[in-house]
Amino acid sequence: MRVGVYFCRCGPGLDGQVSGKIDPGAVRGAVESLPDVAYFEVVDFACADGGQARILEHLAAHRPDRVVIAACSPRQHEDTFRRVCAQAGINPYLMQLVNIREHVAWVIEDPERAVDKAIDQIRAGTARVLHQEPLEAAELDICPDALVIGAGPAGLKAAMTLAAAGRGVTLVERGPILGGLPVRFEEIFPTMECAPCLLEPVLGEILHGELPGPIDIRLTSTVTAIKGFLGNFDVTIATSPRHISVDACVGCGMCIEECPTSVPNALNLNRTTRKAVDFELFGGLPNVPVLDEAACTRFTEGSDCTACLDCCPVPGAVLFDEVATATEKKVGAIVVAIGATIYDLSQVTRLGYGRHPDIVSSWDVERLLAANGPTGGELLTADGRKPRTIAIVHCAGSLDADHVPYCSAICCQTAFKDAHLVESKAPGTQIVSFTRTVVAPGKEAVDLYRHAFDGPHAVERRYHHPGDVEVRVDAAGGLAVSHATGAGEPEVTEVDMVLLLAPMVAGPGPRELAGVLDVPTDATGFFAEHNARSDATRSPVRGIFIAGTCQSPMDIQGAMTQGTAAAGHALSELVAGRTLRVDPATATVAPDRCSGCRTCVPVCPYQAIDVDGWTLKASVNSVLCAGCGTCVAACPSGAIAGHHFTDDAMHAEIEAVLHA
Amino acid sequence: MTGTFEPTIVGFLCNWCSYAGADKAGAAGMPYPPNLRTIRVMCTGRIDAQFVLKAFAEGADGVLILGCHPGDCHYKEQNYRALGRHRLLLRVLEQHGIERQRCRFDFVSAAEAAEFAAVVGEMTADIRQLGPVNLRAVGADAQ
Repeated sequence: MRVGVYFCRCGPGLDGQVSGKIDPGAVRGAVESLPDVAYFEVVDFACADGGQARILEHLAAHRPDRVVIAACSPRQHEDTFRRVCAQAGINPYLMQLVNIREHVAWVIEDPERAVDKAIDQIRAGTARVLHQEPLEAAELDICPDALVIGAGPAGLKAAMTLAAAGRGVTLVERGPILGGLPVRFEEIFPTMECAPCLLEPVLGEILHGELPGPIDIRLTSTVTAIKGFLGNFDVTIATSPRHISVDACVGCGMCIEECPTSVPNALNLNRTTRKAVDFELFGGLPNVPVLDEAACTRFTEGSDCTACLDCCPVPGAVLFDEVATATEKKVGAIVVAIGATIYDLSQVTRLGYGRHPDIVSSWDVERLLAANGPTGGELLTADGRKPRTIAIVHCAGSLDADHVPYCSAICCQTAFKDAHLVESKAPGTQIVSFTRTVVAPGKEAVDLYRHAFDGPHAVERRYHHPGDVEVRVDAAGGLAVSHATGAGEPEVTEVDMVLLLAPMVAGPGPRELAGVLDVPTDATGFFAEHNARSDATRSPVRGIFIAGTCQSPMDIQGAMTQGTAAAGHALSELVAGRTLRVDPATATVAPDRCSGCRTCVPVCPYQAIDVDGWTLKASVNSVLCAGCGTCVAACPSGAIAGHHFTDDAMHAEIEAVLHA
Repeated sequence: MTGTFEPTIVGFLCNWCSYAGADKAGAAGMPYPPNLRTIRVMCTGRIDAQFVLKAFAEGADGVLILGCHPGDCHYKEQNYRALGRHRLLLRVLEQHGIERQRCRFDFVSAAEAAEFAAVVGEMTADIRQLGPVNLRAVGADAQ
């Protein structure tokens, strides 16, 4: 084999950044005497346009089988010289860049020792390059369409952004309406904006807009299976019956009036009832009721009631016979935006949640204060009294090693909002806030913080340890908050209502879906990111993106920004009409040597390795593989090879760097 | 003897952190002993125990494995796997008379030019003290 070696002086003559320390003349003899070296050519500035042209011309004239360039760091110019080789018709993976600048010339003071080291490193590169193989980047056809799971703020924004770019979007939502949590809330921090109004333009675009990309909305649906990889996913979507046709129904609500069956409405803390056929939420979109199989007597008792069908003015809107379906879709990218939930406060026994109806969570109070809530927006206790004193307890279970160890970031601002709402809806109510560490980040939060404690009826009390605040319920049903201040007996405040700020937790959603998607969750139960700082909306699996509160607790602004970011990733990675370039420096399995032991499977952080259930042979998906080589080193049978970093190349390099 | 002995150290550096840290030491003009020979891997996870054994077999006096700091691995957590392998490997090396100081695992980030130079300096000094490798057959202890 003929190896062509180029030595870059990184400057003119003996004044270059490299040649100033390492005289190419002192290196030449040792390199030229290496077996397989065809020539040793010295260049001034190899990376400059003139240098590249000179190397290109020289390569074209001498046609070496392998190329070694002794110059600067491959982190700086490996791509440059690979391009030059490709232009000369030499496979770019047959080139090895040896770093004699950063790792030799610039760090060794004695020129003789620098020359020795440069020779050793060039010899190692030359030995290695003989084992390098030509590699071709595969080009795969892709589907540019996307699946968005979850129709809350993050998912809606992702769907809208993708459709605005002309991509087909399948939007899958577990519930019967769009909008996620904010449509169930009324006003949001930091500026007391109307939450449903905030989402109105996005919902309008998605439901009735004329976005260039079609949006296929699948309500009452979940994703049950996913196969494939970036650019080529096959997804299975299961849809449970709504029994009311979203296409036919005009939303007149006559069926609701006529329905004879009422059940407690959990959304309104079971303080109101709902019909067996009813709107999920008054004002929710699409404006189409749901017939609840768990409540309708046709399904619970096998009755022959047809009250809703009989009164419905639209033929084909009531569909008693509708059944669950499963459909398949092909997509190229997946945005997961399934949201989060709040911690089960009944676990924090000292706070009394569940023991008294006037001990409520931050989510409960959203409904208690909502105009479409149980009291029409009036703040009342469970037995209908106007409360005189309300306690607002921050960090209810958060920053607590026994419950939720982290700070869930949004509760303080929610508390300030709640305090403000109480003050405006029930002026004169005494508000005692028990704060631990106030979190009010960003440029807008501080106003609401000040406002919450400005009024004549607001008091802020600080507590330090989770156990310092307890909620007491006496035999007569009286409520009091006990606050241990560290000095003497705890201070006890009698109250009519206790509002607990519950931390946001991942809930079972991410773990359940993680099993379907094969994407990991972290110790907190939220989805793990590709990189929590620089790539928080990418999962470690290529083509699957995460947005909103399923990644971490965050506010609506954060969730919508992440939805847009995730869509941006999908748009830039999959461009319609373009193929997907797959880096060839990945791992590959020799099936005849694979014993099916599965050692490689868990060491891969990208779920790129599968073991066939029938043949028991592992295989690496080159689209998902990032080329770290951990599986190569882990394989006890030597069945996995790392392209470009093969055992042969590595052993040759190790041997040659040590032996003259 | 120890005053004149110049050890050869093979350094396996991961592309994203430690190799970049070494580049930075170069760019910052921070000299370190010329005893190090560098071999780039994309990730410390690629470092097969056989690479280290091969280096000693071919006459290296020390092997330095440098990866990203915990939590910073470009490939999520492969540096932990490399760290685990290194711990096992030390036991094997010691059985062959290769002192644990001769095979050092450490973390150097892309920003830690001075740390890189310091680690190479320390390791070179340690091995100068130890002198050349004195391999012994396994089981020699029992005799």
